[in-house]
Amino acid sequence: MSKRTDLISKITTNLSAYTAFTVSSEMPFISGGIPLYEKNMKTIYVGEQNIGVGELYDTLDGQVINETTTNINAYLSVDAKEQLTNIDTVIAQILLARNGIANTVTSTSEYDTDIVNDVITYTFEFNFTTV
Amino acid sequence: MAVINVTDGSSCILAIGNTAVNGAIGGVDALEIPFINDITVNASTGVTRYKVLNSASEKAFTTPSTNQITLNCLVDEAVFFGNAGGTTNKVTNDGLFGASNDKTEVHFELSFEGSTAGDKTISGVGYISGLAPTVSMEQAVWQTPVTIECDGNLTAGTI
Repeated sequence: MSKRTDLISKITTNLSAYTAFTVSSEMPFISGGIPLYEKNMKTIYVGEQNIGVGELYDTLDGQVINETTTNINAYLSVDAKEQLTNIDTVIAQILLARNGIANTVTSTSEYDTDIVNDVITYTFEFNFTTV
Repeated sequence: MAVINVTDGSSCILAIGNTAVNGAIGGVDALEIPFINDITVNASTGVTRYKVLNSASEKAFTTPSTNQITLNCLVDEAVFFGNAGGTTNKVTNDGLFGASNDKTEVHFELSFEGSTAGDKTISGVGYISGLAPTVSMEQAVWQTPVTIECDGNLTAGTI
């Protein structure tokens, strides 16, 4: 399975107790000029994975051990006027989804926010390194 | 006159075995060490210095060399633990760890230029020592230093 598929699965598991939120398997494309995550608030959309391959070890016999870095963004929009009381724990659970991805040597997650009109959008960034 | 460039990935070759034949590059049962990151030939002589009354500078002579081959490599499962393949090379069968553990005398040949006839080599006899496999999540591939403590002279030769 791809890292994106694994991440969607893990976020879904982590948010299973938070029934007001759903996780979509669709890409966060723009429909009618509006991103899906703004149109469907409280639904998490996981973007396409971006992959970079670098050299971890180079050897005298010409064999190379590569390191693969996978970057994935996820998006969640909610009402900015009336913040949900459990939004902090929901965000924490989304960030912790990085821990459930198999075969990674390092994983990081962080997020930033953007408020437009009365909608606050959380943009999560996940980074996974595999060898 | 030319420098020796190893960037083609096939110039620097280290073969070891329990006999001179098995430790020769290109030998049927030779164990050629893969995934070498770096390798150093130490052929450092000792030095004895002494002073004489009729000279303003110290005089010196060299004493027998401490000869070693030191390298760092990624751990290959078959090479490190042996492949028990029933070859005539005990080092291949036992692996680097087994040869170190058993204190097996090993013959080795290190090529500087490749495996073509006439390519320059250094060979000798010694014992495998200095294994210290290590791994971490930041460097998530096992790697280990290896030392061949030479018993006697290093010999320059060709393939």
